Amino acid sequence: MGKKRDKQTDADLVRDVKQGEPAAMEEIVKRYSNKVYNLAYHLTRDAHAAEEIMQDVFLTVIAKIGTLTTEAYFSTWLYRVTTNAAYGYLRKEKKFSEQTPVEDIDQEQYLEYDWTNLPDDVLLSEESKEVLRKSIDSLPEAMRTVVVLKDVEGLKNEEIAETLGISVPAVKSRLHRGRLILRKLLSEYFSKYTEPSREEE
Amino acid sequence: MNCKLCSALFQEFLENSLSEELIVEVQEHIRTCSKCRVSFRTYTVTVTLSRKVDPPCSVSPETLDRLRKVIRENFPKSHGAVV
Repeated sequence: MGKKRDKQTDADLVRDVKQGEPAAMEEIVKRYSNKVYNLAYHLTRDAHAAEEIMQDVFLTVIAKIGTLTTEAYFSTWLYRVTTNAAYGYLRKEKKFSEQTPVEDIDQEQYLEYDWTNLPDDVLLSEESKEVLRKSIDSLPEAMRTVVVLKDVEGLKNEEIAETLGISVPAVKSRLHRGRLILRKLLSEYFSKYTEPSREEE
Repeated sequence: MNCKLCSALFQEFLENSLSEELIVEVQEHIRTCSKCRVSFRTYTVTVTLSRKVDPPCSVSPETLDRLRKVIRENFPKSHGAVV
């Protein structure tokens, strides 16, 4: 074809895939396979499932790309397909963690404990990482998805809103509440290492 | 600024999306209120740790090869009809 695929925009690639150019699909796989895999892995915590989901997602792209009317929104459409596939897997396998109650997020009792000065080998220990993974997994689905897309995958609020079909304020609200729950759970865990702050106002 | 409003603005503060005036107000409140100072630090480090807990990884070359094979086998000879 003589086209510099890696220089093409997503919209150009989508248009070329619609016109039956397999090289454009190759470039989409090259561009997005890691992103799709990581999102699927972070939602399922299962490497094998993430590989299967990735394959299903790209097959869905081939089958449904003709329904994508706004080529520029390809990446958020892809994240939506991936998110739906990951939750479909979790529902099918009934792999849902016990959810943390979101009502009454009482933060007060944790605000006197400053665990942020703990050494990195404590903050980033395998045990604390596992606590955080389980805490993220315990968030209600709607909140967890936003936290993973934002704080783990690094998407912008606008991209998350487009991906999930919700407003930017709704993204911000879910993200803030999710972070508060994670902080509460981390504070509970780290409290075994630290004394209440003695800082005076 | 009170503690409740300060806490509600942490997200925008971290994203640098507050007005100059509000940035100064949040900074001043955090400076003078020890509870909000701790609250801001723990909120910030919670976000940082979430980014570090499972750093992104690459799909293995073998998996990518399998995926490409499946894609080639399933890519329609004439995709134009789907548009």
